[in-house]
Amino acid sequence: MSLSSRMVMVLTTVGVLSGGFLTTVGNLTKEKIALNKQREIEKAITQVVPGTYSNKSLYKEKKLTIYGGINDEGILLGYAIQATGVGFQDEITFMLGTNTELTRINSLTILEQKETPGLGAKITDKESFLQFWENKDCTQPLSLRKPAVSSPEELALSEINTITGATISSEAVLNTVNSSLVTARMLRKDGKLKFEE
Amino acid sequence: MPTRTVSEDFTKGLWKENPVFRQLLGMCPTLAVTNAMINGLAMGLATTFVLVLSSLVVSSIKKLIPSQVRIASYIVIIATFVTVADQFLAAFFPPISKNLGPYVPLIVVNCIILGRQEAFSSKNTIGRSLIDAFGMSLGFIIALLVLSAIREILGSGTFFGHQVMGTWFEPWIIMVLPPGAFIALGIILGLANKIEEKTKSRR
Repeated sequence: MSLSSRMVMVLTTVGVLSGGFLTTVGNLTKEKIALNKQREIEKAITQVVPGTYSNKSLYKEKKLTIYGGINDEGILLGYAIQATGVGFQDEITFMLGTNTELTRINSLTILEQKETPGLGAKITDKESFLQFWENKDCTQPLSLRKPAVSSPEELALSEINTITGATISSEAVLNTVNSSLVTARMLRKDGKLKFEE
Repeated sequence: MPTRTVSEDFTKGLWKENPVFRQLLGMCPTLAVTNAMINGLAMGLATTFVLVLSSLVVSSIKKLIPSQVRIASYIVIIATFVTVADQFLAAFFPPISKNLGPYVPLIVVNCIILGRQEAFSSKNTIGRSLIDAFGMSLGFIIALLVLSAIREILGSGTFFGHQVMGTWFEPWIIMVLPPGAFIALGIILGLANKIEEKTKSRR
């Protein structure tokens, strides 16, 4: 056999074999990976809309999904808004829980982020950032308190403490929260967030 | 090639030819993922998986591959195992997979792996290649753990996530940031060279 045909044969064989192997592995893990993602979302919904027994996706677009948190009697408890916005390094995805009127934020949890460890990554930290989102009135657009104050009591009703050294990351979350709340309110007004049993 | 004993083939990866400290290979994952020990360990284990299996396959089919296409074949073999490792982590260890982010797929271009195939597995028996791969992997894991221990203790005050420094300790945030990786690695390499110099002069 000539050298070039041997070269082609070896490369083809290696390619086909590894392709087949990868298809098998991909099929074996695909379901598990999808399940992990789904579980993570469900856990986040239950966390931001306490008392959730089941959830229903009420609205979906590319970077915004709104779920309804439903209790065991089939009553809508609140909305869980999953939104993605541009952070400092990469996109930040979070889950925001509100009441059914979209006037109060229950809490916020970060699903995905690649911010700077030790600085921007503190957006996932309860003490430095997430605690300020708990039970927050959101009838007004929220704003950042900078420089940060030491105790949450010093914050105004619509203020969120900035993470020192990570203004961009804090702002990114804040802006996405504000804009997704605006969209959610509009959708609600248009009757698109209704939950029917 | 001088004949070497089995134990020499294994232990050379630990210090004498340690991929990080002595050969300066695989610097990208070394610098990038060592901000926490758990990430360093996971990266080390994922690299071990890829290196051992690639060495096994390459050393067993080395005679079939024409030398002109050997690099292309090695890369396809390595990439296959890397993809398997990536999907395995995403399926069974989602938090770790999230932390390591793009660095697992990047194992494909980790010079240690291609380097061992070219320098060792393509010239040695299957058994010796496996021993070499395990030795090199262990050396890589040790290097990642040393570096991530220094960075995690100084940068977060923790060891494998457990608080080890008292409340008086103000974490040096720079140590978990990229500059901290360069500073720590630079100091370690300096020390490694010093130790090597001393052992050489003693001989």
